[in-house]
Amino acid sequence: MLNDHKYIQRTFWIIVFMIIWESIALSGIFSPLLVPSIQTILYSLYLSIIDGGIIAQTLYSLNLILRGLAVGLIIAVVLSSLSMIFKTFEGLVETLITIAHPLPGIALLPLIIIWFGAGTNAIIFIIVHSVVWPMILNLLTGFRSIPNIYKQVGQTYGLNPFEIVAYIMVPASFPYFLAGIKIGWARAWRALISAEMVFGAAGGGGGLGWFIFKKRVFMDNPGIFAGLIVIVLIGILVEDFIFNKFEEMTVKKWGMTI
Amino acid sequence: MRKYSSKKIIKILLTGFLIFSLCLCGCVSKSTENTAKYEIKIAEQYGLAYAPISIMKQNKIMEKNLLGVEVSWQQLGNTAAIREAMLSNNLDVGFMAIPPFLIGWDKGMEWKITSGLSASPIGLITYRDDIESIKDFSEDDRIALPQPGSIQHILLSMACEKEFGNAQKYDDILVTMSHPDGMNTLLAKKDITAHFTSPPYIFKELENKGMHQILSGKESMGKDFTFIVGATTQKFHDANPEVYQAFVKSLNEAIDFIQNNPEEAAKILASVYDLPEEEVLNYISQITYENKVRGLKEFAAFLSRNNYISKDVSDLNDILWEDVDYVK
Repeated sequence: MLNDHKYIQRTFWIIVFMIIWESIALSGIFSPLLVPSIQTILYSLYLSIIDGGIIAQTLYSLNLILRGLAVGLIIAVVLSSLSMIFKTFEGLVETLITIAHPLPGIALLPLIIIWFGAGTNAIIFIIVHSVVWPMILNLLTGFRSIPNIYKQVGQTYGLNPFEIVAYIMVPASFPYFLAGIKIGWARAWRALISAEMVFGAAGGGGGLGWFIFKKRVFMDNPGIFAGLIVIVLIGILVEDFIFNKFEEMTVKKWGMTI
Repeated sequence: MRKYSSKKIIKILLTGFLIFSLCLCGCVSKSTENTAKYEIKIAEQYGLAYAPISIMKQNKIMEKNLLGVEVSWQQLGNTAAIREAMLSNNLDVGFMAIPPFLIGWDKGMEWKITSGLSASPIGLITYRDDIESIKDFSEDDRIALPQPGSIQHILLSMACEKEFGNAQKYDDILVTMSHPDGMNTLLAKKDITAHFTSPPYIFKELENKGMHQILSGKESMGKDFTFIVGATTQKFHDANPEVYQAFVKSLNEAIDFIQNNPEEAAKILASVYDLPEEEVLNYISQITYENKVRGLKEFAAFLSRNNYISKDVSDLNDILWEDVDYVK
């Protein structure tokens, strides 16, 4: 019921938005280069799909994101677990967050090119940077929200600090963990697209950001919108089919959230 | 199964209506700008090939030629940004190479070329001794240039068409880099094999030991061509004939100034670019500043032959304003 409602609402608003867009496009107030009509955007998307370009580029981008996200996730879990166990480590992690979290990855770009070159490693570094800090913040908040009594129960059972983290703190803070992954995913997308638009394709086809950049330099404005539509669609699909399913299988099933 | 009460539907419709009217407000307020008597918005670009624009600004030539004109200089990152600003009428005049101009024209931008600005050395530089011509690149090599569709990319494609009969031969080994990034990466001899660039980067790179040029713009094109042209929107040209004429006159004066007083020009430019005067003088003596436009037909024919643009230029009056000095 609740889900049906959400989809009806969403479809309704998308249709409203499309009608407004199309009427502005048809009214001729703006040049078709500024506001291309929906048919030309969809046609451009169709052309990019049949020549295979946009599919390969989407897969390339997704591959980079998954790698960056995985590395970011591992670093975040390790750092936040360690800082829950060792007090001195907590200070270090908090200092790192204070320094690194407000730094946009793109601002680090000149340094990253010097250190990692201009290839995929640099893009993955930017993704990891944009993912890891918000994820640690979320995990730490989650760990700290756990009632102390849970920890004490663990200690009474004779668990060592690592076991307390693994068996008590991680499951108990799972909703925060999930929220962290969601934020990380969104951050990774943004980082990836902007990095790709700066780096371009280091050989081969490049990713979605490169697709949009290329459309921009050749002034194919409907193509730019086609690229944006693909990004939005992937965002919606991942949110609806991966995160929501995962939530239902875990925290909702366990009765931790409504 | 009544999910939406009538009250709710009204609410939703109202919200939609509000959003729509907000959009319209945006349209209306946009058309009520521009109250100054004479106004011109020019893209200010740095780089030796754009030197006449800096001279025009520093010597206030435009202001002398048209009293009461308000010149607003806008700084934009790259050619694509300039094109977009001109499309949204935030810019009247922009300077760029011929291929990006033609790509915009092909996509329906209402603009034409006002004048040539400069012709300059441009070439493909590498540090690798084993590479002597474009035939020597392999799949693992990387060529850096500003962006696809840039004059550097088009000149490389022209050379590939001549050499291999395939203009896209090296499209998969390109890396997009700004000129300074490209130069630093080339000098580090790590990620890229070669760099297609223009002054002053081309001069700086060639000063280093072992760096050599394997292809020049002139070799690709087969003749001299204009590197940078000035383009003006139809709207500005038609609505402000006096300002347009004053701009053309001022640009010609700025070009003449550099040709006739290179030392004085170098002095002014040195302070703008924050470079030593002798260095600037040396650079500008290697660049030709002229208002003539060369190579337009050749670029257009190449671009349309290789589907970068959908149509060839059949009538030069479609892309040149009146009185432009075109050299066949």
